[in-house]
Amino acid sequence: MIGRIVEVADDRRHLFVTRGFMVVQEQGSERKELGQVPLDDIAALIANAHGLSYTNNLLVALAERGIPFVLCAANHNPVGILLSTGGNYQQAKRFDAQIRATRPTTKRLWADLVRAKLQQQASTLEAAGAPSAPLTALVAKVRSGDPDNLEAQGARRYWSLLFGDQFRRDRALGGVNSILNYGYTVLRAAVARAVIAAGLHPTVGLHHSNEFNAMRLVDDLMEPFRPVIDLNVWHLHRNGKGEVSPETKRYLVRSLYDDMQTNAGATPVLVCTQKLATSLAQVFLGERKTLDLPLAGLPLALAATLDNE
Amino acid sequence: MWVMVMFDLPVVGKAERKAAAEFRNTLLDLGFEMAQFSVYMRFCSSHMQVDTYGKRVESVLPEGGRVNIIQFTDKQYERIITFRGRAKQAANKTPDQFDLF
Repeated sequence: MIGRIVEVADDRRHLFVTRGFMVVQEQGSERKELGQVPLDDIAALIANAHGLSYTNNLLVALAERGIPFVLCAANHNPVGILLSTGGNYQQAKRFDAQIRATRPTTKRLWADLVRAKLQQQASTLEAAGAPSAPLTALVAKVRSGDPDNLEAQGARRYWSLLFGDQFRRDRALGGVNSILNYGYTVLRAAVARAVIAAGLHPTVGLHHSNEFNAMRLVDDLMEPFRPVIDLNVWHLHRNGKGEVSPETKRYLVRSLYDDMQTNAGATPVLVCTQKLATSLAQVFLGERKTLDLPLAGLPLALAATLDNE
Repeated sequence: MWVMVMFDLPVVGKAERKAAAEFRNTLLDLGFEMAQFSVYMRFCSSHMQVDTYGKRVESVLPEGGRVNIIQFTDKQYERIITFRGRAKQAANKTPDQFDLF
């Protein structure tokens, strides 16, 4: 099922559990109930404000359901994700298989992810009316493990083609960068949940090797989906909405529900992330050879809105 | 899609009242919201989910009661006319994929 993304972005909020619901209250002289969401319907909870308080009961209820609880800093960057320790009944078996995976396998899988990312980036450029040939040309050149680091070369061309030569992708900057941060935060939470649910360990990555990053596998697997966020950010930017606001957030969260093309037909991004994580676990277990990646091409609804303009 | 559970349960004996309270609490645990004292509603995103919740409710039915499970569409839900006292309430809204508090 496709869940709901819940974000708490205002100070003075208190969150707790009553029966099967998460209840949000406003803290003040008098506690006022703002709303409640069934726990089973939540796909991710994003805590994006300073003065929040939550009960331990709530955190336990989220962890039991494998719902990621994302903590954000002032610039909307995620600084931590709380996830459950037992997400899948086969978890121990799958962890073992994941750790035993050989170098050739992880290198081959990383090359597949880079190819998929470059293809999606090319689709995004095409939709934005920019030349996509520089990226399409790189796809065929990706070798096992991406030793030429075509991913970075692609990114360099990509950002200037999408947002112009002056644009610099920097997490600490505001404007377009801050909306990108926000979109990636939501995407990262979704992929983290998929990874845990597939019984994989988020820290044991394929390519990302920063020793301070606890979510290396999540960062590996989210690569092919980033361009979907990028295109939505581009769309917002072009319509003069270059800052993080309730409206832009709502728009970006919707990108998780856009349909992408897969071998099994059109499926929302959120479901694609789950399929990818599950297929990775199966590759590790030797049950299949290749990853279940989205096909090149745009999310359908988005392509349709662009056509109409 | 919406699912509505309506029930009349016997509450004469102590054991019956306990069973009725348990049934009500289970509905709340499943994410059904109270619309009226014996009417509970839940939003579902697909037919498959409607079936799942229908089966879950079935598995916790108390003895000797009468329970109806009704399904209706988002449009029909939005067309519900609600009065509280004499005042007419604003139309219901189906939840969004993104909740901002």
